[in-house]
Amino acid sequence: MNSLKLKDAFWMTTPGVVSIPPFLFEAILYAPIDDTNSTAKIGNGNIFFTLYKKEPAMWDSLTLANADKEKLQYLRENAVLKAHEKAKEETEAKKITKQEHKKYALEATMKLEEAERKRIEDLKEKERQKVSKELELWKNQQKDGDKYKSIQKKGELHQEIEPLKERKSEKMNKTRILNEGTSKTRLKSTKGHGSCSIFSQNLKEEQLPAPRAAATIKVNFTPRVFPTALRESRVAEEEEWLHKQAEARRIINSDLSELEDLKEEEKNPDWLKDKGNKMFAMGDYLGAVNAYNLAVRLNNKLPLLYLNRAACHLKLRNLHKAVEDSSKALELLTPPVPDNEKARVKAHVRRGTAFCQLELYTEGLQDYEAALKIDPRNENIEKDAEKIRHLIQGTMQSS
Amino acid sequence: MSAAVGAERPQVVSHVQQALSYTVFDCRWVPRSARLLCLGSAARGTGIIQLYELHGARLELLREIEKPKPIKCGTFGATSLQQRFLATGDFDGNLNIWNLEAPELPVYSVKGHKEIINSIDGVGGLGIGEGAPEIVTGSRDGTVKVWDPRQKDTPVANMEPVQGESKRDCWTVAFGNAYNQEERVVCAGYDNGDIKLFDLKTMSLRWETNIKNGVCSVEFDRKDINMNKLVATSLEGKFHVFDMRTQHPTKGFASVSEKAQKSTIWQVRHLPQNRDVFMTSGGSGSLHLWKYEYPAQRSKKDSEGSEMGVAGSVSLLQNVTLSTQPISSLDWSPDKKGLCVCGAFDQTVRVLIVTKLNKI
Repeated sequence: MNSLKLKDAFWMTTPGVVSIPPFLFEAILYAPIDDTNSTAKIGNGNIFFTLYKKEPAMWDSLTLANADKEKLQYLRENAVLKAHEKAKEETEAKKITKQEHKKYALEATMKLEEAERKRIEDLKEKERQKVSKELELWKNQQKDGDKYKSIQKKGELHQEIEPLKERKSEKMNKTRILNEGTSKTRLKSTKGHGSCSIFSQNLKEEQLPAPRAAATIKVNFTPRVFPTALRESRVAEEEEWLHKQAEARRIINSDLSELEDLKEEEKNPDWLKDKGNKMFAMGDYLGAVNAYNLAVRLNNKLPLLYLNRAACHLKLRNLHKAVEDSSKALELLTPPVPDNEKARVKAHVRRGTAFCQLELYTEGLQDYEAALKIDPRNENIEKDAEKIRHLIQGTMQSS
Repeated sequence: MSAAVGAERPQVVSHVQQALSYTVFDCRWVPRSARLLCLGSAARGTGIIQLYELHGARLELLREIEKPKPIKCGTFGATSLQQRFLATGDFDGNLNIWNLEAPELPVYSVKGHKEIINSIDGVGGLGIGEGAPEIVTGSRDGTVKVWDPRQKDTPVANMEPVQGESKRDCWTVAFGNAYNQEERVVCAGYDNGDIKLFDLKTMSLRWETNIKNGVCSVEFDRKDINMNKLVATSLEGKFHVFDMRTQHPTKGFASVSEKAQKSTIWQVRHLPQNRDVFMTSGGSGSLHLWKYEYPAQRSKKDSEGSEMGVAGSVSLLQNVTLSTQPISSLDWSPDKKGLCVCGAFDQTVRVLIVTKLNKI
């Protein structure tokens, strides 16, 4: 006899429908049955239904005779719903049991871990207690040692009162010891010790050297390229700046044919820069510009060339060029580090001046304020900035 | 390197923890006793000295002394065993020596520096070493001064910056090389990474170097022997161990360095009973126990034939994290091996026991 598992069959309570695909057996029973306990067995070409009534009572008939279509439909739908609910409930129940199992597993692991931890703690505690006991022992030893020392001290005091020559006889003199009210043997040995230690102490004091002759040692602190300690430094930026400078010096734009006509020294941008500076100082601004131009063609990464050329252009009233050159200089003077502060201040001031002479006062003021931020203590810049502010206010009022 | 319990590694056991009502800057064992001192600064801006005694599993407060200025550091190094006077440096630059039995007036007092005394060390006392008892103080004003308690008001040696030189804070000082009556050496660490070694016998600068990061703590492994090793700790978790037996004319002393903790290493203290074991305390509240191993040959000849030292290696024995705040002070008990006290900026002082040190 084959026994069907319940999941292969789809039971409905009231109507009593068994669906074993592809077949369908429907019987609308008289009263509800308990479908959880009911079974269906197939065998020998027969199906045996074992149905348990929900309420033990005598049925008039197996099936409902007067079942009309609507009622049937309604009953069927009802049954389907109920079956659905049941299915839901079952899944719910499954979920809950699963969760409970998980919880249980978790608790079990937690208990295991607790046990492990406790074991370690216990070991540690034992260590601790052992060590504490040792400590107590040692401490008591110390206390006894201290007592010993205080008695020793008493003995010493006693001796200091006695005159020196009586010291020898005192060692034998037990009555004095008895008068002190302390144990004989202890004090006796203490006295011996006491005298020894006094003597040795005196000797030691004599052995201590006199205080040193006062002297001073001057120290220098390690210099660095930038006088900041590592914790204060902006090392990355400073390194970058140094690197850039080193690189700039190495660049040689050497693919110009006119270069062959130049003398050896004229190919050196630094030399040209110096020449330009001298000409600027003498008032030969055009000459200075030429020198700087050539230097730039040789090496266009030196910010000071642009800076100085900007100064020349200012004097020549080539204001736009001055602005350009100052901007280029500022570009090259990144990253901003204390080392290139002065250069940056100059660049800002020159550009500011150019803007003002072009009557672009707001831009000029911006540059002056930037310069002030770098060097707040420069009075000239402060004064000029004030002047510009007044000018701006004046033009605003008049317009 | 995890802490394995039951293995043969030394364990750091926290024995007692005591919460304090002030910031503790330094903690010291009173020699030959189970008592310890905590020095610090109360919230109201006064200095506190507290004397505790170890009683079983707790610390019992024996005495509390309040002083007008906050106290930064203290030492018993220059006092005799009978007297056990405490020398302290405070936030105002005053060096005072106190008799703890009668602490109302100091036994010795001098306004040694213009700014806070960051570090103090003493030598010649406690039956250790030979020669006159001396105290060295290092201050934020960039000077390092050596004092003799028998000489009032003027230091016996003064290491100050050259005229016109911008000063750097001195963060730490240590005595060393006091193996006979004449020899003495002072090592000072500064906030720009300078370490300078001053020879007090010849009154000159014997050696200097720069370890890039500010030097938080320097200590010789023993003050009273021919100088053997020097440990210098710095910011950014690095410490250097210098082999001080062989000085090369140009290269100085050989060293090995270790980057241990991610934070500043505030203190280094050598175990008094074993000079190759030391503990470092960090800004992250952790303690690391290290052992130094000597190389096969401590010195070798370089290409020109002059002797140069060979540094050994350092291995980590144990580490624990006790607090979330920096542990700023650390002291081993000179009487019981493995007993130490540490004070942290979370206003607690902890007594620790390091076990199994015999087996290293």
